[in-house]
Amino acid sequence: MNLMEIFSEVVVVVSVLLPMALLFVVGPSRLWTALSDLRPKLKEAAPGFMALGIVLGINSIARDTGNNLSWIVGVNITGFIHRLEGQFVANLQSMATPTLTSYFSAIYVFGYTFLLVFPLFAYLLHDDTQPLYETVAAYIINYSVGLVCYIAFVAYGPRNLIPELVKPLLYINWPHSQLLTSEVNTNTNVFPSLHTSMSVTVALLSYRFRDIYRRWVPIAWMLAISVAISTMYLGIHWLTDVVVGTVLAVISVVLAARFGDRLRRGMNRVTNDWIGDRAVAYVRRWLQND
Amino acid sequence: MTRPPTTTSLRRRNVLSLLAVSATALTSGCIRRLRTITGWQPSDQISLEIKTVSADSDPYALRIANQVAEWLRTAGIDSNVTPMSNEELLRQVLLKHEFDLFVARTPLRIKRPGALYSLLHSKFAPASGWQNPFGYANLNVDGLLKTQRTVSGKRRQKAISQLQQTVATNQPFTPIALADDIRAVRSDRYTNWRRRDLHSSLSYLAVERVDADERDESAPTPPEELGVVMNDTRLTTNLNPLSVEFRCSDDLTELLYDSLGYSPDPKTVAPWLANSWKFSKDSSKLLATVEIPANVTWHDGTPLTAEDVAFTYAFLSDTTLGSGIEDDTDDDTTAVPVPRFHGRSDRVSTVRVIDPQTLEFRFGECHPQAAKRAFTVPILPKHIWNHRTNPSSIGGIEVGTATEALVTKNIPPIGSGPLMFAKNDPQRSVSFDTFDDHFLTHTDKPELPDELANGPAFDRLAVRAVGSDVAAVEMVASGEADVTGTAVGAGKVPRIGRKSVLDLIVDRSTSLYMVGYNVRQSPLTNARIRNTIAQLIDKRYLIEDVLDGYAQPAVSPLTGTEWLPAGLKWNGTDPVTPFLGTDGELNVQKAQEAFQAAGYQFDDGKLVRK
Repeated sequence: MNLMEIFSEVVVVVSVLLPMALLFVVGPSRLWTALSDLRPKLKEAAPGFMALGIVLGINSIARDTGNNLSWIVGVNITGFIHRLEGQFVANLQSMATPTLTSYFSAIYVFGYTFLLVFPLFAYLLHDDTQPLYETVAAYIINYSVGLVCYIAFVAYGPRNLIPELVKPLLYINWPHSQLLTSEVNTNTNVFPSLHTSMSVTVALLSYRFRDIYRRWVPIAWMLAISVAISTMYLGIHWLTDVVVGTVLAVISVVLAARFGDRLRRGMNRVTNDWIGDRAVAYVRRWLQND
Repeated sequence: MTRPPTTTSLRRRNVLSLLAVSATALTSGCIRRLRTITGWQPSDQISLEIKTVSADSDPYALRIANQVAEWLRTAGIDSNVTPMSNEELLRQVLLKHEFDLFVARTPLRIKRPGALYSLLHSKFAPASGWQNPFGYANLNVDGLLKTQRTVSGKRRQKAISQLQQTVATNQPFTPIALADDIRAVRSDRYTNWRRRDLHSSLSYLAVERVDADERDESAPTPPEELGVVMNDTRLTTNLNPLSVEFRCSDDLTELLYDSLGYSPDPKTVAPWLANSWKFSKDSSKLLATVEIPANVTWHDGTPLTAEDVAFTYAFLSDTTLGSGIEDDTDDDTTAVPVPRFHGRSDRVSTVRVIDPQTLEFRFGECHPQAAKRAFTVPILPKHIWNHRTNPSSIGGIEVGTATEALVTKNIPPIGSGPLMFAKNDPQRSVSFDTFDDHFLTHTDKPELPDELANGPAFDRLAVRAVGSDVAAVEMVASGEADVTGTAVGAGKVPRIGRKSVLDLIVDRSTSLYMVGYNVRQSPLTNARIRNTIAQLIDKRYLIEDVLDGYAQPAVSPLTGTEWLPAGLKWNGTDPVTPFLGTDGELNVQKAQEAFQAAGYQFDDGKLVRK
């Protein structure tokens, strides 16, 4: 099993879960109406997705550079975190059972991906694009603050500092998943837990927009709490990372609520007035010349 | 807004009294008294940081470090462990010398007394790399190191014994254990894994291909490819054979660059690229005439001549190629030698080209057996490396002290070895093709063993980097690789045993784990403190608890060789620094007494400076 196979496994699982969840959360009638009139919504939402794509792109390029930079300017806080919280993660892991390990491994990889992807689709289907833009803005804030923290701090997770007490349960249970996780992040970037901050962000937003999708609220919270616990249970994150991740989530949601609308207007202006016109002109010229 | 008057007056009164006190202090002898008091440093608790690699990078180092930190804390020393990546540890310890204690695996098993020269001689204390990283300086040891290089027989044996005794008492580092090298291999595509020690890269040349009709065709990798999986990404981002922090023991750059000679076993150096060598004496100086074959080329097609060989030795002793380098390297203060090979290259004084296939080596004061060691350095192409003499400021070394040669990532590498670079994907993979024009293919080398002389059995060697040793074992199990290119932890043995496609290979006692001390700084400057710290370490407990018994305890770096004196043999406990306790339980009373005898005090169970 190589990286592509694991990646496609995640894609398959998420694309099976997604329509089922949409049907349940959005409801058949609303789903049908929304899908039949998708084009204008896509047009309105496209700049938001584009902004998210750009930030994720920058993030993946900057990660390697950031990692090298982090070893030069960053502070190694691994020992400090351990002294701060002691053996919390080790105690949590002492309750491990094979069932729990399977559950949290699945949550960490599939549950998390689903949790992040679902709101993008669900809010796209809603009439108003405000929830979508707030979600995108919150994701962007999470990633940006995460990147800065990852440069400023070098921190290894519990499995890498106290291996005699904390086992890398995810990788023992499912070694190939490490191919995927090492593509997404390096093992020195554990402070704060982006898994936690992104999940809690989704959960907080689900509550903020509870009037739109009432059924999503309990699902989002259950998944978010499971993801937060899984990061510690699997020996990947410290309690400190999870706490700071939660704080980051709150901040990002508050900021997104304030600036989400500005992002929408800004991105629309950029795409319509600038990139849009230019791209259209460029393509037209290219077609003529060829 | 007005403040209540009482606050104002209080503040005023405070300021006035402060002024009054200051005035008294200035006029009276108070300052003198203060000065006297500051002479007595406040008794801070002694604090020692242990640097080591993360659990992903090495199966044992971090757990050893944690246990040592635990013993230090029990004895009253504030201690904590800082994990980092492989290259970062080497950068901080070997290049910057920024550490108190470190736990690491030595890059190569120390099998010859000669290897101790660069590890412990005081002249290497300011140098970078694995040359005396401790900063240890002991004139007695220096003398013994020199003696063992120049004499032979009984006198050499005696010097080596004395040397080990002194080092074991002084403890510039504490040897912990010689760990076994555990690997998982599958034999359905390639066999003959056990012919040579996999710790040496040459072993990959000895591997044989399984006949086409017996091969497992369902395997995901193509049949002509040998898959190697490492839990170390260094090889995928840097292929510079001179780099300090990117090279490790399981290093394939040895297959990219030929050397004049190779070590079939620890005691001998036999010709590899060289056809032959002849030693002679010229007015007490040792000389060697070395013949290299004609028609050898570099991977880029340029011919390899004696000129390249002479360049290599000049370059290794000074990568700036500064003036006077051809005559006397010692006088040149601006020389930037290559740390990784300094111990070997500094035996050579000059190399003279006689004709394109012949060279004359002139050695410093040393025995022919020791001189031959200098033939094991990689030969570099002059037309590429003579452009890398300018100073550089990247890679952890300070501005002006390193040359481009030491910090370049050297991709693509141009060597003359049996493998040539094909492609790399940083952090993920790197692959090498076999070099069709290698000397093995067109030169008859009857003295080489068959399994090496026949060259590689594969067309491509593909290296993949994964995050941990568990993942590496799984890659071999699933058929994406044929062998784990780095040793895995003893905890993976059951996992390997459970999979029927996997074979377990255990090479006994191949690498030394050590606790190194930074002797440059207090309190570790004090040999007695180091000796006492060594007595806080229960090697037997570490071997049972951390290494699962896959190791033998080490007293001296030469443990396990014939050079170990009887007085340093392990006899159930360490003969020089026995553990102050039993079964990993430190006897606090005894530990405190030992530190008190060394002139230190305890304050509420904490070790403080007097």
